[in-house]
Amino acid sequence: MGDYSKKRFLVVDDQPMAREALRSIALTVGAFAVEFASSYQDALYRIRNNVPDIILSDYMLGDGRSGQQLLEELRRFNMLPDETIFMMVTGEQAYEQVVSAVELVPDDYIIKPFSPDKLVLRLDRITAKKNFFAGFYREKRKQDFAAAIAFLQAQHDTEAGRPYRFEILRQQAETQLAIGDLKAAEATYRNILDKYEFPWARAGMARTMHRQSRLVEARQEIERVVASTPHFFDAADLKATICMAQGEHAEAQRVLDEVAKRTPRNYLRKRLLAEAATLNGDTETARAAMTDVITNDTMPGAIAPEDRLALARSHINSGDNISAEKILLSLRDGEVRSLNLPEQASYAALMALASPERGTSRFSGLRPAMLASKLTPTAQMDIVRAALSVKDHKLADLHTDYLMSSLDAKKVFSNIRAQYALHGREQDFRTIQKEVALRRIQQEAAAQSASTMIDF
Amino acid sequence: MNNLLDILASGIHDAKNQLFLAESLIAATEAKHGLSLSEARYAIEAASDRLSRALAAYQITRHDATPAITPVILEDLCDEVMLAQKLHLASREVTLTVDCQVFDALPLDRDLVTDMLNNAVQNAGRYARSMVKMSVTAEDQWLCLVVEDDGPGYPSLPPEYGIGLMVADRLAALHVQHGRKGSLTLSNKSALGGARFELRLP
Repeated sequence: MGDYSKKRFLVVDDQPMAREALRSIALTVGAFAVEFASSYQDALYRIRNNVPDIILSDYMLGDGRSGQQLLEELRRFNMLPDETIFMMVTGEQAYEQVVSAVELVPDDYIIKPFSPDKLVLRLDRITAKKNFFAGFYREKRKQDFAAAIAFLQAQHDTEAGRPYRFEILRQQAETQLAIGDLKAAEATYRNILDKYEFPWARAGMARTMHRQSRLVEARQEIERVVASTPHFFDAADLKATICMAQGEHAEAQRVLDEVAKRTPRNYLRKRLLAEAATLNGDTETARAAMTDVITNDTMPGAIAPEDRLALARSHINSGDNISAEKILLSLRDGEVRSLNLPEQASYAALMALASPERGTSRFSGLRPAMLASKLTPTAQMDIVRAALSVKDHKLADLHTDYLMSSLDAKKVFSNIRAQYALHGREQDFRTIQKEVALRRIQQEAAAQSASTMIDF
Repeated sequence: MNNLLDILASGIHDAKNQLFLAESLIAATEAKHGLSLSEARYAIEAASDRLSRALAAYQITRHDATPAITPVILEDLCDEVMLAQKLHLASREVTLTVDCQVFDALPLDRDLVTDMLNNAVQNAGRYARSMVKMSVTAEDQWLCLVVEDDGPGYPSLPPEYGIGLMVADRLAALHVQHGRKGSLTLSNKSALGGARFELRLP
């Protein structure tokens, strides 16, 4: 039995009686100190200030929040060290279904009622596992991912590794995905799926395919996951992202609308919904979603400049230039100066659209930089739109060409075409499209003949 | 709350929260006064198990239940059954022994399998003279979970199914892998001379 007399526990539960019960159990197992958090926000605040050794969080936290969401938020802001134990406490059998499906899981969950002895048994087990993975955590923290993966591979066939083989493969796949070794991650997920059809592994495989721009395959994989595990909301997010890449914006929005209703306080999902709605031309949904994000995603640092740019964009799409201008002006000069180039370009383009008299000169000032760089798809779309409105054909056509030649072509096609139509330049858009297509055919022919030559 | 399942699940969830308060009060009292009230805690956990089982039974008779499969370490699972049952059996002068020969993690529904084994050990303990044995082995890609006792055996075969056995039978069949399906076999072929409960999972 482990020694918990030096451990600091944090008990998270919105019900005072249940909180007291968890505290008394933690004290019975010998906890050195037990802190309380009575809500989701309170828990985030306390963990941010001082990370406990062991978190016991109830699954139902009231106010539309869950322990699962707390876990996701802690990981999102990197507030949970690998060594900290996160244990979900639940009276719901339903949580098992969540744990068996999703990618992001707690160290363990325990179903109420349970005795102090049972909690100790579970904590001992997690501690043993964390000890086993200690070398992996260490390399990961040093950002030496090659060493981290090598550690896992070396442990896979050891006797001590036998109980943890699935976990070893899972950590390996996630690390490979995180460092962008997509082929290796895909192979690892396949290896897991050969053993059992875990939804999280199937979703991981879809993720690797999506990032390799193998959209049709990725879509097939993720559809399987969504159909079999409707409560796996991140899988729905991934499906929507793939749909957007395929240019199926209506389907993307439909999927996100549905899951966002069931998780009203997940603001990453709300951002994704805003993106899908924008692409789908549903400006009001986009505007409402971004307003909700900016008002309610209250974690310090959660609202990035790109969120305000997104809200301004959605105001412009709704024809509300005054609100758009107000949002853009709420970014202070210093903040604007510290934006990266794509964000500066978006800022200038959106300002030029919202308020031509204020924004056009800034937009022209950035013109040389915008002509010289490729930037991000979002920034490029903003540039095309603003350039069309100030009749800067060269700038608009350049970025349209870039976009239509990129992997994002399907995603942005209908919106760009609509912008050209708005300015009576459909024919020019078609010409760009043809040029891009012709270039692609030539490139493919060249690649073909090169490979033929190698064959001989 | 749009259907009967939600209403039942919510009621059971609330009841289990109350049982948790009761158990934690007892545990605190035990710690404070150096007492052992394990039979009281056992009764609370048994009540909670019955509620969960009744819900599971309702779910599989009325809906398509899907097991929640995660990699499970069998030794850990055995430890939990041991922890849940040992003191209670000891109070009836029955010894529980466990023999786990499976060392890899296997894809299983941890809570359902634990509940089935708890239920089997509980039943065996009721009829055993002095011994209940639980063993876990792997044979040609099958996982065999066996609970046997040295009691008089089932009076008739197959025995009448209570909720626990009904759930175990149905849930065994829900574990499917590579086209093979789990099964439950009840017999009087125990090496200890009594009843034998055998759950085979792919």
